[in-house]
Amino acid sequence: MLQATKKWIFQKISSVIMVPFMIWFLLNIVEIFNAEYNEVVIFFTSQPSKILFSIFIVSTFFYSALSISEIFEDYISQENVKKYSNLGVFLSSLIIPLITIISIIYL
Amino acid sequence: MKNDNPISPHIQVYNWHISSLVSISHRITGVLNYALLILVCFWVISLLLGEKNYEYFKIFSNSFIGKFFIIGFIWSYIFQILSEIRHWFWDMGYGFELKTTKITGTIVILGSFILTIILYIAKGILI
Repeated sequence: MLQATKKWIFQKISSVIMVPFMIWFLLNIVEIFNAEYNEVVIFFTSQPSKILFSIFIVSTFFYSALSISEIFEDYISQENVKKYSNLGVFLSSLIIPLITIISIIYL
Repeated sequence: MKNDNPISPHIQVYNWHISSLVSISHRITGVLNYALLILVCFWVISLLLGEKNYEYFKIFSNSFIGKFFIIGFIWSYIFQILSEIRHWFWDMGYGFELKTTKITGTIVILGSFILTIILYIAKGILI
């Protein structure tokens, strides 16, 4: 299977997983954005929002990394710049959700 | 391996249509949502700093900029969701007719604004 085909399939699978969790998060963020500290902590530490939020950020970061690499492919001509830009997005898509999930566990 | 693929022509060379507007907006909101999600993660991580420090965030969330931020956040994500659903239909082989692409493109643009207003008002943030 071509690398591009694999990438497309992963992008589609992550998109189907991501959208329902995105809707769930949108419905909740409008409430918790203005909430008090304790309410926000309770939201992120209680079940099922702890699990749902974790799946939301992992799937969205994964989908975004694949999508943004497509944009780099289309608009960046210098191979070195493209390579390091992809590496930056890949690493941030791995590290940021990981630290966030660990933070929720320790909240 | 050397990549000889040509890069895309700059968007300014095209005539503007609903489809091109939705297409480039899909990419822009995709990158924007990535940046916004990083901010959301930093917000969640900042909860570890405790209740006292959270007051700084409360000042921001209650400000005009904070309200603009959350409305922009909601719109950008709703746009991405609607546009993504449009892509799903394309992936299944539906909606390629010129008239249909115009209709679905219009639904994505108008729908994103309408749903943002509904969600924002329904949750009573304006109050």
